[in-house]
This record gives sequence, C-alpha cells and structure tokens, in this order.
Amino acid sequence: MSERDKHLEQLREIVAEVLEMEPEEVADTADFVEEYEADSLRAIEILARIEKTYKVEIPQAELNEMRSLKAVHEVVARYAGWQD
Amino acid sequence: MHRVVVTGLGPVSGIGIGVDEFTDGLRRGRSAAAPITSFDASGFPHRYAGEVPAFRPAELLRRVRVAEWGRSALLAAAAARLAATDADLPLPLADPGRAGAVIGTTSGESTVVEQLVADLVAGGYPSMSARSLRQAPAERLAYAVSAELGLAGESVTLTTACSASNYAIGYAYDLLHTGEADVMVAGGADSVCRWAHAGFYRLGALTERQCRPFDRDRSGILTGEGGAALVLETLEHARARGARIYAEVLGHGLNCDAHHMVAPNEDSVAACMRLALDNAGIKPVDVDYVSTHGTGTPANDLCEARAIRAVFGDRVPPVSSIKSMLGHTMGAASGFGAIATTLAIRHGFLPPTINWANPDPELPWIDPVPNVARPATVRVAQNNGFAFGGNNAITIFGAIR
Amino acid sequence: MSGVVTGCGVVSAAGDSVAEVLAAIRAGTAVRTDVHDRFAEPLPEAEAPAIAGFDVRGLLGRKGTSFLDRATALAMVACGRALTDGELTPDDDNRHRIGVVLGTTTGSLRSTMDFSRETLVQDKPYLVNPVLFPNTVMNCAAGQAAIRYGLRGVNATVAGGPLAFLYALRYALNAIRRGYADALLVGGVEEYTPNTAWAARLTDAGPAGEASAVYLLRRRGAEAGGARAEVLSVATGFAPDDADAGLAGCAGRALAAADVRTADVWALAGDDADGLRNVVPTTVERLPVRPALGDCQAAAGALAFGALLARCAEEPEQAGRPALLTARSRDGGVAAAVVRGWAGGGDDHR
Repeated sequence: MSERDKHLEQLREIVAEVLEMEPEEVADTADFVEEYEADSLRAIEILARIEKTYKVEIPQAELNEMRSLKAVHEVVARYAGWQD
Repeated sequence: MHRVVVTGLGPVSGIGIGVDEFTDGLRRGRSAAAPITSFDASGFPHRYAGEVPAFRPAELLRRVRVAEWGRSALLAAAAARLAATDADLPLPLADPGRAGAVIGTTSGESTVVEQLVADLVAGGYPSMSARSLRQAPAERLAYAVSAELGLAGESVTLTTACSASNYAIGYAYDLLHTGEADVMVAGGADSVCRWAHAGFYRLGALTERQCRPFDRDRSGILTGEGGAALVLETLEHARARGARIYAEVLGHGLNCDAHHMVAPNEDSVAACMRLALDNAGIKPVDVDYVSTHGTGTPANDLCEARAIRAVFGDRVPPVSSIKSMLGHTMGAASGFGAIATTLAIRHGFLPPTINWANPDPELPWIDPVPNVARPATVRVAQNNGFAFGGNNAITIFGAIR
Repeated sequence: MSGVVTGCGVVSAAGDSVAEVLAAIRAGTAVRTDVHDRFAEPLPEAEAPAIAGFDVRGLLGRKGTSFLDRATALAMVACGRALTDGELTPDDDNRHRIGVVLGTTTGSLRSTMDFSRETLVQDKPYLVNPVLFPNTVMNCAAGQAAIRYGLRGVNATVAGGPLAFLYALRYALNAIRRGYADALLVGGVEEYTPNTAWAARLTDAGPAGEASAVYLLRRRGAEAGGARAEVLSVATGFAPDDADAGLAGCAGRALAAADVRTADVWALAGDDADGLRNVVPTTVERLPVRPALGDCQAAAGALAFGALLARCAEEPEQAGRPALLTARSRDGGVAAAVVRGWAGGGDDHR
C-alpha cells in the first residue's frame, strides 16, 4: 500500500467513525454534508481527531474546503507535509 | 380569563444589579464584558465573559442561607427578592399557596457540578462532596426563589436551555391567566462555567472580547451569567393592592425546530413568532420593538433576521440585542430580554445594540438601534428566545391599557 | 378539560411494559442487574436496579446514535414506543401539534461531568468533542426525540428529581388545555452511570436506578382508539417546613379540582406518601417504586403511573375509579395527581 493509500484509509476510518458509518461506505469524493448528513459539529470533530492523530494543527477556516474524503486528504497533506 | 401584568423587576446582571442600575446600564449601553474570574481561563484563547462580579448574595437575600445553595439558585433567589421589593409585594403573602415560582435555566447548578468534577479528578467518584451532590439538582433554582419569598404554590424549574426564561414567563402567564394563581415570580438564572465556555469556543461560536450582534463582522457570543426575575400578577390582584403596573403580558408562543440540536431553523423561528403574535391577539404591524435572541453568531443573527423579515414583511420594527451588553446569559437571557422589553415600554426607549460598527449587507432591513439608546413610544414589544434542542419561545408585552 | 393517555412506552430494569413494572413493585424486592463490568470506572455496588442489555444501536440504528448519552437514548426509545402504542403517526399535517414534555434532574450528569472533565485533563481546556456539547444541555433528550420523530409542537423539559414526572404532567395538561398542542409525549428519564450510582450512595438515596417511561397524552375527544387513563388534575406546591402537610394539601387540591371524594380513592402510587395517612384511607392499595426499582429520580413518578395503568388493566372492577399519584422531595417539593385508569379501551366508562 502506498503512503497515499495508507493515509486515505486512516482518514476514511476517522471520518466513518464520526459520521457513524462503515469505512467502506465512505466514498472518496462524496460530499459529507449533502450525502452523509454531516454538520458543523461533526466537521469540527473530524478535524480534531485528525489533529490528534497526526499531531498537526489545521485552522478551522479550512473546514469549508474539507467536504469530502479526497478534499480532507489534500488539506491534511498540505499541513502535515505529506508527499502523497 | 385574567389579564396578567408585570409589577416588579429583578435583574442581577453584569451591567447592573436592581432595576435602577440595570435601566441606567441599558440607557448608557454599558458592557459587562471583562476578563473571566469565575474559573481559570488562562488556557483559553478567548478569556472574556459577561460575569456579575458585584454579586454578593448575602447582601441581597433575607431568608435563604447562602451556604445551602449553589450560585445559580442564589442568582435566581436574589433576582426574585429584588423583583418582590420592586413590586412592593406584601410578604408574607396572605395566601402563599396562590403564589409560585417558575425559573428557567440552561446549565442549572453548573458551578456546583464543576466542583464535583474537580473532586472527581482529584480523588475519584467517592470523593465527590455530598453537600455539592445535594445542591446539584436543577429544580433547586425555583425552590430557592420560593424559599426566599415564602411562596407555597407551584415551584418549577424549566430546563429548556437558552429560551428557558421565556418558557417560564409563558407558563407563569398561563397559570395566572387561567386563574390557577394570583402571583408568580418568573425568570431565569445561569452561572458562567468552564464547560459552556469550552463548548462554544470549540464550535467556533465564541467571540474574543466584544459581542457584536447584527454587525457584518460579528464573530460569536460571549458567555455570560445572571439572574432575571419578574413579578407577574393578575390585573385584579395588582389593582386590589394598588401596585404600580409596568406593562401587560399579552401572550407567548412555543414550538420546536425538530431539525438540529444546535443550528437554528428560519421557518420554525418564524412560525414561533406567528404563534406568539396569535396567542397575544396582535398583528405584526402592532409590534413597535423586538428584543432579539441576537447571540452575535453569524448563523443565529442571519436566521433570526430572515425570520423577522418573513413575519414582518416591509414593516420591520427596530430590533436590538442586549446580549451585546450582557453577553449570553443562557437560561437568564430571555428573562433579561423581558425586563428590558418591559422597561422599554414603561420608559419609552429602545435599548441599543452596542459594539455595532458595520451594517450587514445581507440584512438591509435590520435597524439594530446601533450603539445608543433611542427614545421611542413602545406600545407592544416582542421578546425572542431560541435554544439548543430547537426550543423556541417568544413572549409579547404591551403597555397597560 | 382533562388529558387522556392513549399509549405508553417503557424501558425499565423490570422490563419494557407497565405490567412488568407492576409485577416488580408488587414483588417488592429490589431488581438486581449485574453491573460490575458495565463501566471502566468503579461502582459502589456490583448489582443495581439497572436496565439489562439496552442496545441503542439495535433499537434505533447506527446513524445518529453513537454520540447519544444513555438518558437521551432511553428517552428516545420510550417516546417511539409511546407513539407506536398510541397509534399516532406524525406527518406534515399534525407534527406541529405534537410535542414532548420530559422530566429530568440534572440532564445527563455523566455527559456534563465528562465534558467538563475534559476541560481539566486535556492539554488545552477547549479540546472537547463538539459533537458531545449538545448532551450537556438538560433539554437534550426532548430535543433529540423531537428530531427523531419529527415533532414540532411544544417541547419542554422540566426539572424536579422525584417530582419531575408530576411537574411534566401538569405542564403538559396546561399546554393541552390551552390549546397549544393536541398530543404530547409526557414522561421522565434517568440513567444509571457511575455518577448517579455514587451520587445516590454518597447522599444516602441509593441504590440508584434507571428507567424511561413516556405516555402519549391527548386532548380529550382528540384521541383515536381506546384511552388507557385520564389525568383529571395535578396540583403542586412547595412546603419545606412541613412537607407532610404540604403533600396533604396538594392531594386535597388535586382531588377538589377533579371533583373526587377522598373516600373514592382506591390506590396511591408513588414513594414517600406517609404524609397522606390521615388523608386517604389506610386500606387503599399502595404502589411504591423505590423498594423494587431503586432511586429512579425523574423517572420514578412515570414508573408509578405505569404501575397504576397496569393495575387498572388487570382488574376491571377498579376501572374508572380515581387513584392518586404523589411525589415529594427532601427539598420540600410536593405534588399530587388524580388519575383514572381503564381496563382496555375505556370508552364505556366516560
């Protein structure tokens, strides 16, 4: 598994837990709010768990962008310095 | 059915304790915002709140013993004592069973619960203080009021979060209106606490120093605290004892968003306004002033302003948010709103929305009475309260006819 | 105008029906559930009158349930059962006329204390889980029930500990009389957690129990199908100096408001009713909750009411006869309700 895939799967698990879904139900590009009934509370908690897991700080302003798993990965990669 | 009037006001707030100081605070646009002293806020990026540092319960209370009650109960009881004194209520009442208390709250005895948490962290569950545990139940807020004033009738605490005072006023109104009681003390109380401060900060809903409702750049609430109480009586009872009458309670409305625990819902808020106006037997055009929920978060103020527009159409009355001055006093908030509304009617002025600098281009129909109190004839006023859980409650007050 | 009960929903240590609640109360011995490995934290007891095997995910599904606290989940399940039992289906025509009135003590003490604890033990005091923040407000259960079942009518939460159900019943009766709602889910809920277990132990109120019991109260005449019971009146008061006299006064007022003679009362449900020994005949049947189900605080009155309903259902000759439901607290709160139960539909008795 590539670094990118590993990160994506870890993020998928975090997102799934907060959104109360099975990881395999979380599609890469599906919009959390439109398709999975996410709200701002859950978005903040996803961010918090990511910060804790990767010891990285991400401003809450980035939440506007982090609306799908793929988008989350891009934002986290930027702040964590991943070369995915 | 009986008409219901307001005969006494008891604010214990960060902009004034007692009706005279509070009225002066509203007229001058005083701010309660200051660095937090109730708890160690040093770990928070935002460290301001609307506390009541001047609150000295022992100086205000005559019957209840301070050591036996939590801070929120003391705020409620002190507010009630001030309101009863302001009403010149003849205590003990001739028929105490026909007099009661309804008090609203969000977090009840939050400072007591946080003391229990400190006990728990220090020594585990068995080290929780039995005295604190006995003080923690939320029903004790109304009991403190009843004990302080010697009231033997209904004594109920409504825990419907940040609209709870309006629930309390509405329920007290019903008990008087239907002849179940002659006198009711209604209002709310809450204390500043760590957990609410943390929760609102985490939601991104907490501003740093200034609460700026309806401003383009508003950035959230300030947590606040206080006790707000109103003496409500049937008109006959008030007239029979020659009481000064501030205003009349015209009615109230309640509904529930059933949509989201935290996010407000515009349609539901508008529906609640219509329910309240109907219950009061008035039309939107009759309303001269709206004391808004106006928390200062982008979401609330947008939702509330749009709901107001939906109900009032092209004739939106001036609105203001006293949370700009007090902070968000949670369960006491709509009680302070009710007191401010009553004073607006009685003295002919609109309390300002302070810290206001820039109109919000999304809300061009909103006149927030910016920064300076305004003389105005207020015959009918609407007092909004919304809450977590989608618990909307609105009260309507009018000049006595 | 009175309110009519047309459905009920129960989750209790004795079982999920009012008949099982009654059976436990009649047996009079404490229901024991093994709780020793239920929590990571220590408990003051290995067995308690707690609900066994409550599976929120199984009952309500995964979505929207993993962050619920136990009190909220218990209330949501009981509310759903009461709606189903009362055959009321919320739809776009009626949902604004259906509401929820729940009794509580402090909301979920565990939710609040855990959330507050995080502000002390995390690296930064604001590193709390925002999804759990709504659990710290005491109207969480009523708000979540409204969301789940789409109920946009009056939604209230009333604090009262042992009196909470009677306060809620009176609040609901007012809302129905005033025309604010056509149907209300009225009940009480309390959860068993290390917090409540230790609180009960340390204040000599134990053992702590837990339950949720909710009743569908409808405007008389608006009910579809059979009525289980009618709530004729509720009176409450505050009598810290002489609670016995206060309770007797309340019972007297409730009976007068219901136009019922004391001699006609056949049963007395609720704990701490000794103050009524000079009011109602000593021969009336008594249904105390605490000996069997522990200190269920805000759910206690709702369980007592359920036991009354079950008693009426099993003995048709008591049908339509008035019973008293009472409660009091050590702080001086007192309350009494007059209710009549029916064996089945009850249409013949009105």
